[in-house]
Formats: sequence, C-alpha cells, structure tokens
Amino acid sequence: MDLQQPGRSADLGTFGEMNIRTNIRLLFVLFIVAVPIDVRAEESALLRANFEARRQRLIEVVSRERDRSFNTVTAKLITGYDRTWALAMLDSLTRDESIGGMFYSYSAIGAYLKLHDQLPDSLRQKIRTAFRTRTMYRGDTENHWVMYYTGLYLASQTWPGEDRSQWFNGKSSAENFREAEGWLNHWMDLTATIGQGEFDSPTYFITFITPMLTLYDFAKAPAMKKKAQMMVDLLFVDYAAEHLAGNYCGGHSRDYPEDITNPLSAPAALWAWLYFGQPETELWQENRYRPRNRGGWETIFGATSSYRLPEIIYRIATDRSSPYVHTESKRVRNVIRFGREMNPAVYKYTYMTSSYALGSLQGGILQPIQQHTWDVTFASDKANNTIFTLHPFYSGKELAMFFPEEQKFLSDEVDRYHLVYTNPNKWNSSSPYEQAFQYKNAIIVLYALDDRAEHQHIDGFFPKNLDSREVDSSGWIFCRAGAVYVAMYPLKPYEWIEETINWRWRSKERINGVVVEVGSKEEDGSFEKFKSRFVGRQPMAGTSAGHSVRYTTRGGDRMVFTFNGTRALNGKAVSFASYQLFNSRFVQSERGSGVVRMMYGKSVRELNFKTTTVREWQQ
Amino acid sequence: MLSSRFVISLAVLAAVCMSMSPAQQDTVYMSVLNSRKHRLNALDNPTVGLFVSTDAGVSWHHKGWTGYIRTFYTESGSDGVIWSGCGNGVLRSSDGGISWRITTGREVTEVLKVKVHPVQPSIVYAATAYGVFRTTDGGETWSKRNTGFFKPFVSDIVIDRSNPQRLFAACEDGVYRSADSGGRWRKVGLDGKGVRMIVQHPSVSQILFAGTEDDGVFMTVDGGSSWKAANEGLTHLTVYTIVCDPSNPERIYLGTHGGGVYRSLNGGLHWQQINNGLTNLVVHSLAVLPSNPSIVVAGTLNGGLFRSTNGGDQWIFNSQEEAQIWGLSVK
Repeated sequence: MDLQQPGRSADLGTFGEMNIRTNIRLLFVLFIVAVPIDVRAEESALLRANFEARRQRLIEVVSRERDRSFNTVTAKLITGYDRTWALAMLDSLTRDESIGGMFYSYSAIGAYLKLHDQLPDSLRQKIRTAFRTRTMYRGDTENHWVMYYTGLYLASQTWPGEDRSQWFNGKSSAENFREAEGWLNHWMDLTATIGQGEFDSPTYFITFITPMLTLYDFAKAPAMKKKAQMMVDLLFVDYAAEHLAGNYCGGHSRDYPEDITNPLSAPAALWAWLYFGQPETELWQENRYRPRNRGGWETIFGATSSYRLPEIIYRIATDRSSPYVHTESKRVRNVIRFGREMNPAVYKYTYMTSSYALGSLQGGILQPIQQHTWDVTFASDKANNTIFTLHPFYSGKELAMFFPEEQKFLSDEVDRYHLVYTNPNKWNSSSPYEQAFQYKNAIIVLYALDDRAEHQHIDGFFPKNLDSREVDSSGWIFCRAGAVYVAMYPLKPYEWIEETINWRWRSKERINGVVVEVGSKEEDGSFEKFKSRFVGRQPMAGTSAGHSVRYTTRGGDRMVFTFNGTRALNGKAVSFASYQLFNSRFVQSERGSGVVRMMYGKSVRELNFKTTTVREWQQ
Repeated sequence: MLSSRFVISLAVLAAVCMSMSPAQQDTVYMSVLNSRKHRLNALDNPTVGLFVSTDAGVSWHHKGWTGYIRTFYTESGSDGVIWSGCGNGVLRSSDGGISWRITTGREVTEVLKVKVHPVQPSIVYAATAYGVFRTTDGGETWSKRNTGFFKPFVSDIVIDRSNPQRLFAACEDGVYRSADSGGRWRKVGLDGKGVRMIVQHPSVSQILFAGTEDDGVFMTVDGGSSWKAANEGLTHLTVYTIVCDPSNPERIYLGTHGGGVYRSLNGGLHWQQINNGLTNLVVHSLAVLPSNPSIVVAGTLNGGLFRSTNGGDQWIFNSQEEAQIWGLSVK
C-alpha cells in the first residue's frame, strides 16, 4: 500500500515553489474559509450536545413515570431508577394475556433487545414464550403491519432455527423471517416511490418511527439495517419539511380531534422537541398540551436509539428564514372495493413561513375516518393554534372502500373506537363534498353537498384565544394570532356557535365555500394594513360552469376553481400530474424513482432505495 | 329449462331420502369476529375467535387463539382439518383446534370465507378482499385465482358439489362463475349488485341463492346462467346469510340487516319474518343442524348467538353477549 501517492507529491512540490505573495493570498483565503468552517463545526457540536441533553432529560423524566408500558420499563432499567418496580412491571406485561397484537409485538422485542443484559433469564424466557403463545394480531392498517412485521422480523432473527411448534403462528423462524423481511422491503419500496398511505399523521407518526428505529438498532442484516436507517431519515425529513415550532403542518391522512384543534398536543410534537429542539418548552410540563403528550412515552425509542438525526434534516426542520412551497404526493390506503384504482394519489401543497403554515390536500375521500384536509397553523405559545373548515362526513360505504366488513355495520363499529365518526360536530373528516385549491398563502375550499350527505352543514374552527376575530361589513372575517393574520371570506351565510375553546363557524348552505388568505407582520406590516388589502377584493362565485369561484389574491394571482372541475392559476390549468413525491427547495424526489434528495445550503444527502445507499456531498 | 317448482319438488324427494340416513353428530363452528366488550390493546378483552359446539349448540368451547385476529368464518373438511378465514390470513388446525398454523403469507389478508373441496380436502379456497386464493396441498402453498374479476373483492365462494371444478363467487358487482377451479372467472348475473353471499341448494345443485346488499334474494335454477329476484314478503333487502334445511329443502332461512330472520316454507317463493325472542335484528349467520333440523342457530352482529329448537318459531339467547357472530358452519 502506497502511503505517499505520486500525484500528491507533485502537488505538494508545486505548493512549495509558490512565491511569498501567493502564499499570503492563500493564507487569507484559508482564513476566510476556515472561520465559517470552525463556526459550523462548533454549531454542529452544539446541536449534538443539545440533542444529547434532551435525550438524557427525556430518559430521566420517563424513568420517574409509572406508566404501564415497555417505554417506562426501558427508561427505568437504563437509568437504574426503580429497578424492582420495572422488573415487576415487565413481568406483568409478559403475563397479561389481554394485550397482544402488533403494539405488543414490536415493543416487547424492542425492550428485550435493548435491555437484554439487564433482564433475569426468567424474564427473557417469558418474552420468548410470548412469541409462542400470544395472539399476535397483524391488524388492518399500514401502521399495524409495520409494527407487526418489525416485531416478527426481530423476534425471528433473535431466535433463529426454531421449528413451527415454537411460534404463535405455526411458522418456523426461517418462514417468519422471510415473510417479515419480504413485507418490510415491499413497504419501504412502496413508501419511497409512491408515498406512505397513513402519511404525515401527527399521531400515527410514532407508530412508524418507533418500529423503524428499533429495526435500525437491532437488524443484523446490513441491508435491512441500512434501509431502516433510510426510512427513519425519510420519515423525519417528511416531517421536517412541514415542521414549524413543533407543529406538524399541512394536511394529514389521519389524526384525532384533540390534536387537530391543539396541534402541539399531538405525539409528533414531542418528537420535534427531541430531534428538532422545538418547541423549547417541555410539552409534558404544560397543562395546555396535556394529557396526550404524557401518553405512552414512545419517544423513549428515540432517546435510547443509536440513530442520530443527520444535521441536514435538523436544518430543514428549523430554517424558516424565507417562505417556500413544499408539495408532495402520497397514496390513498388500499381501496378494496367501490373503486378501480387500488392506491389513488394524494396531492399535498404546503406553504411554509417563519410564523405560519398553510397546507392542504386536494380534497375528497383520501383516507377514511380521520382525514384533515386543510388548515392554517401558526407558531404560538398558545394552545389551539389553528384555523380550518371541514364537512363532517360519514358513510358506511366510505368505510367499506377500505374495510371488508359490512357497509351498514361499519359506521357504528368505527364509532366504538374513534367515538366521533358519526358526530355532526367532529373536527376530523374526509368528505366527497369538499375540494381545495391552494396557491402559496391563499386557498379556496369549495363544498357541494347533496341529499346523500348525512350532515348538511360545514364547520370551521376558530380558537377563542385569537387576539382578534372581526367580521367586516365586506364579508371578510379577519383574525389575528400574534403576528399572523388570517382573512376568510365565506361564500354563503353562516352562524357563530360558542364552545369551550373555540368559536364554531357553521354554514348550512350546501353549495358553499371559503376563500382564505394568510399573512403576517413580516409580509404585510400591521394588521390594519393587512385588512386594508382586502377592500374591494371579494371572490366572484358563479354557477354557470358548475360550482365555481374566481378570486384574485392580494398578491395579484388569479385563481379560478370549479368543484369537480379545473383549477386555474393566472389563466393556466393546474395539473396534479406533475406532482413529484417531494418537491421543494429542501426535498426533491421524482415519483417512482426511489431516490429522495435532501438539500440545505450546499449540502445534499441522497437516499437511494433502489441501491440501498446514502450519499452526501457539497454542491 | 326446468321450472323452479318442478326442480324443488325433486329436491324435496331427494331430501326425504337423505333424511332417512342414520343420525349423525353435528359439530357447529361459530366465528366470533368481535365483541362490544373487546377493545384492541385494552384490558377489557374477552375471548373472541372460534367456538365449537358438539351438543347441538347448547354449549360452546373456545378453540385456538384467544385474542382478536378478526376471525370471519370457519369450516371443517372431510378429513377433519379445520380452516379459519381471518384478518391474519388462513389458519389451519389438524388436531381439532388445539394448535394452529397460519398457512398464508403476507399476500393474503382479510379472508372472509374459506371453503373446503368436498372430496379432496387438501384443496381449499379463500374468498378475500383481494380476490380468491387456492391451495391444493393443504395450505403449504397458495396461488391467486383472480383472472376475469372486474374488482376482486370476493365475500363468498361456493364449490359446486356436483362438479367441484365449478365455482361461484359473490362479488361487489355481481355473481361470477368459473368452470376451471378459478382459473378464469366470468360474470354470470346480478350485474352491478353487491352480492354478499351465495349458497347452493342441499339437494339440487343447479339451484343457488344469492343474498345482496340492497336488492334482497336472487335465485337460479340453472346453475347460475339466469337469476331472478325471490323477494316476496321480504321487506328488508340487505341479506347477509341464507341456509337451507337439509331435511326439507322447501324450508329456507335468511338473515338480514335490521329485519332479523325470515323463513320460507316453499323454496323461496314467499318469506315471512320469524323474530319471536330475537332481540337483535342484524343477523349475519345462520345454521340448521342436519341431525335435528328443528334446531337453528342465528348469529347477530353485536347481539350474540340465539338458538331455536322449533325451526325459528321461537328464539332464545344462547351465549356471546354483545358479540358479533360473523360466521356459522356445521360439519
């Protein structure tokens, strides 16, 4: 092996012959370059140190909890705090036949692998036995399968070479491993090419990130470990591009009403705290974000993982120095009947600024039960920092598109779990009677209800803690939340209903809609100035070509939108066909390519799922 | 073409002959999908899944996994092997339900029915939300059999016992038939109607009944080539289940959404509600016991199991309070 390469030697020789003037110039250049490099290195070191501090803090906090979960047990055994209680709890979890299924599957093996050396042999045996005797339900959603197959992969890897009699499902270790490996690869490839099904959910984010972190930590096969790492990167950068001060912004495939109306109470916010350092407040300490953030402490999976977030993702999550448009395409979960296409595309459009985000899906039934089609979310230290509208839709047929049970039975059945599915006042819903067209910080949302809609109204959420909510004689509703301004123009008459934390805007007109523009002190100056820009700026609703609205934004862009018809911007039809998997200044990916490129400044990080490689370079 | 009246008369004669055979022991398989008391990952989690009765539905014993895996339907073959269609795939037990194996892999899920070949029990068909799958080696391998379906959501499948290569499938857009064990399917009737289930008459194989989502009952007397509505007296048109009395093929029962149980005493020409004692009127499964056809069991959605000892004239709650009795079958 050559320690001194000939070429290099020649270069050094040339350097040695340079005259003094040249050397001085070079030293100056090096000085200019070296200072930022040092600063960046220091910043990077600080970021790493801050993460380590938050990580340790979280483990410490969770170790003091007494939740009945593998998370609490893990934190206690790692810190050594309350060890006796933790072992007793773990023993209880292995004995309790009433818990099983996919949640148990991956968290049990995760705890086993993390804590292996600290567990008495009897407990290790009990966890092993659970995989022989326990019912492990695979589930009926994407997140269920990710958890189930991650658990099965790691368990069959941990106990290889065992025959069919040793496993709950009557398959051998090898059979289980092959099946789990096959499905995980299938899901990763699908997600990296046409997008996630249960995408961008502030709640269900945890059910994808925690299995993938566990898989990354413990998969022995280098290829699977690498792909798991890439999936964690992908999930985080997907979040990061629509992250604002702890909030997971934009449209969501599914979420719970409590989190939709109070975004920082969603479990994803705690992950933002841990990895992005935002919000700075420790969410679990704050009453206004309780109780959901005190839930299962799944973030312990992150805090105890060997995975470290690439700095580029942190930068993407936190740099809001200039506004940008971020678009994505995702997929509808499997349509098993009443549709020709198995996974129709979902189109996302999000406009991010330093103080607010306006985001939307194109509308219609894209996910059953818990869809959140559009909202404006503003950075705030107050709870309930969002405004949005929806049509509260429910239908057995909608559910039967995605679930195989009887359609006349499903609505009632789903209500058992989600409690609000048929409720006319719910805050989460997909609806075939709702469609959206967004351009930057303006959005038109149209509604066209017919006799088949069970609930004949549309609702809007306006938090009571807004600094201002004014109804102007022009028809515009103006709101101010700190330095963020919202203008909403309802097309039809409406009423205000006072509720505990919010004003419910309700309109019972069936052919309906709203036009919304969002601004800020930075963009518009004062609130008064913002409002003045809407004088004489009413949308034009027309019915000659169907339910249609024409509107020119305060920025001068002409938007024309027809329900079930065209979306036109400045006279040109907008086509979703051009949507990529990701498209913004931070993330790029051609749909179907399997290559996701993250960019920040001159730094690039590329995930290539076709070759299972990660590359980084400076542009 | 034979008239339906004539065909049914022949059927009655055949059934009388059948009923003269020696008494047999019935094994009834009850698939409990879920229960009001059950919540996923929760403490209040009573047993669901497969229950078996060998005393004419009086008492039931749980078999297999105690937790929730969405057990839709269970059936036993002539070799005694038990097959369950579940969310987790197709399960198989060859020891009477003591131990089980998931025979399918990641590609098979949401299995709504399993049907065992009447002569070769190693051949089994699975009707799933993603189409039909078949094994010919007792579940070691499965292959997809979906050629010809417009949309392969299949909620039920019938193996023609007179010609087991001929199959019928209940689909969201009609009834499909295959002449080659599912190699190719062709829609043969009820175009555009959501077909929930199909059942073959116990003595005349050319007669089949189909229950639909919104259009009641349809009947064919020519092996599926033509279908006609058979809804006289039926005021609830969502039909989840149909069973024929093997001893008297003129006597047919059906279970509906909201209308409870209907009975026909003339081969489906007229229906009459028989809900005396039935406190839940969403009936998803029914079974008539061959050894004593006056005993009928009715499985409801969220109301548990009801049993009648007089052909449905009176129902008495039996068990599984607040449970969803998705499937019933008798061996």
